[in-house]
Amino acid sequence: MSKIISQASALVQARDLKNDYFSFTLAPFAKAASCRPGQFIHLELPHTELWFRRAMSVASVDPSAKSVEFIFKVFGRGTRLLAGLRKGAEIGILGPLGKPFTRPKKSETVVMIGGGVGFPPLMYFAEDLVRRGYDPQRIHFFYGGRSKTDLVERTRIKGLGIRFHPVTDDGSLGQRGLVTAIAGDWLKAEGGSRPRLYACGPEPMLAAVDAMGQERDIPGELSLEAPMPCGVGICLACVVPLVRGGYARVCADGPVFPIGEVQW
Amino acid sequence: MVTPNLSITLAGCHLANPIMTASGCCGYGEELAEIFPISKLGALVTKTITPEVRPGHPPPRTAETHGGMINAIGLANVGIDRFISEKLPWLSQQKTAVVVNVGGKTVDDYVAVSEALAPYDSVAMIELNFGCPNVNEGGLEFGANGAMAARTVAAVKRVFPRPVIVKLTPNVTSISDIAVAVEDAGADVVSVINSLVGMTVDVSSWKPTVTFNRGGLTGPAILPIAVAMVDACYQRVSIPIIGIGGIASAMDVVQFMLVGASAVQVGTSLFVHPDGPVRILKDLTAYLKSRKLASVTELIGKVEKY
Repeated sequence: MSKIISQASALVQARDLKNDYFSFTLAPFAKAASCRPGQFIHLELPHTELWFRRAMSVASVDPSAKSVEFIFKVFGRGTRLLAGLRKGAEIGILGPLGKPFTRPKKSETVVMIGGGVGFPPLMYFAEDLVRRGYDPQRIHFFYGGRSKTDLVERTRIKGLGIRFHPVTDDGSLGQRGLVTAIAGDWLKAEGGSRPRLYACGPEPMLAAVDAMGQERDIPGELSLEAPMPCGVGICLACVVPLVRGGYARVCADGPVFPIGEVQW
Repeated sequence: MVTPNLSITLAGCHLANPIMTASGCCGYGEELAEIFPISKLGALVTKTITPEVRPGHPPPRTAETHGGMINAIGLANVGIDRFISEKLPWLSQQKTAVVVNVGGKTVDDYVAVSEALAPYDSVAMIELNFGCPNVNEGGLEFGANGAMAARTVAAVKRVFPRPVIVKLTPNVTSISDIAVAVEDAGADVVSVINSLVGMTVDVSSWKPTVTFNRGGLTGPAILPIAVAMVDACYQRVSIPIIGIGGIASAMDVVQFMLVGASAVQVGTSLFVHPDGPVRILKDLTAYLKSRKLASVTELIGKVEKY
């Protein structure tokens, strides 16, 4: 079987996480077990004039049920259409696609920084690391949003037993401020031996994490988002400029890039 | 009934079937090979290769449209030298016919790239991109001016010993006039059509949806235009025609062949269904069986017009 497959699938569970956030679980997907944290699936929406696929990062998988979960926020026409789908709706899956996060060494302190709807791949990554025997107390999850209602799935993330640091712009939950600034202060104060950064979220947040990593010489990876017609590296639409010049494809060369590579 | 014969001969080149992938929609083949065995293709047409490395335009480069897309990638490619050293060796091993699409700003550019490819027998044919609307120099003007197109074809034919395909732009008054001009100049095959100039605007930002402002419209939306243009060219040239434009199913392929295409290229629909050619071949075989046709070539030009 090819590494990447295209398969007809169906919406088997739809959870309304409130405030325009939804968790969808699709099955069957024969490659569920090989979806690594940081990778994404490319979805074909049913009966729609929007005929491009929509890329969604994997939030969890259930290998025995051959199912894959993704979490999204209603943002444009595609996500609005998705949100309107009901259990049983047919959705085609192409995947798994893209490069996953690189696993840290067990001796390293893992610092994850998730902004808004960028949290799902990091949640999956944290879950995967815990399952692989990483010390949950050395995994710090900084989760930022405008307000308390933006920090969905908090109980689930805390339930992994990792160190959870909620941050909101308005102070309605956790520390008040920007998640990058709060994570930066924590790194300065607590340090954490041999930290490694992983981030996913809006572009200004990723640029700030990138700058912080470079200034303090902390290695890490950033997961980018871009509109992707093909998702497999053949259309060359979803490119980002690189520091060394030229462009990289977010879908096939990323979506995970090492700190210091992307030209913001 | 025996399995219908899908093989075709294009300007003396034997192809296992008439399904090719269109330039700019399949890179240099490596990514598609992760999804299906590309040996199933009749031929693979590479991204346009220019003399120099081109990074392409800044993003956004594409926009979704009703039944199609606008694209202005900007002929991003590795350049002829790296194509030959890094991409061609792998492509040559893939057991599918390789067609290299050639672009440039001047006649000399087209000649230089074609001449560099001449020694490599694994390049079965070249396809001259005479209709890219997404670059400031070259591209469109080669396709819109019959005399210039003819001069370029003649110059390329002198340096490239195997069949030369000319990919025609639809952004002209009469595409069949250009088809006749390039046939007279020695073209072996014409590809009909390249993308149509299009533009969309974001109503929130009031900016065009791609940074090049305009781009090429492709996808299912352009299929009827492309079928009509293949029909128009088939009336006037005797060289084979490759039909291109919005092909996403075997029934689309049949339409193009009935109006005179000897082969087709699948392009934009690969972005939604990268394994689409596999399904198209299966469905095409079933269609031929249902019509009791022994060979796919029996479709060519058989449209029953009113």
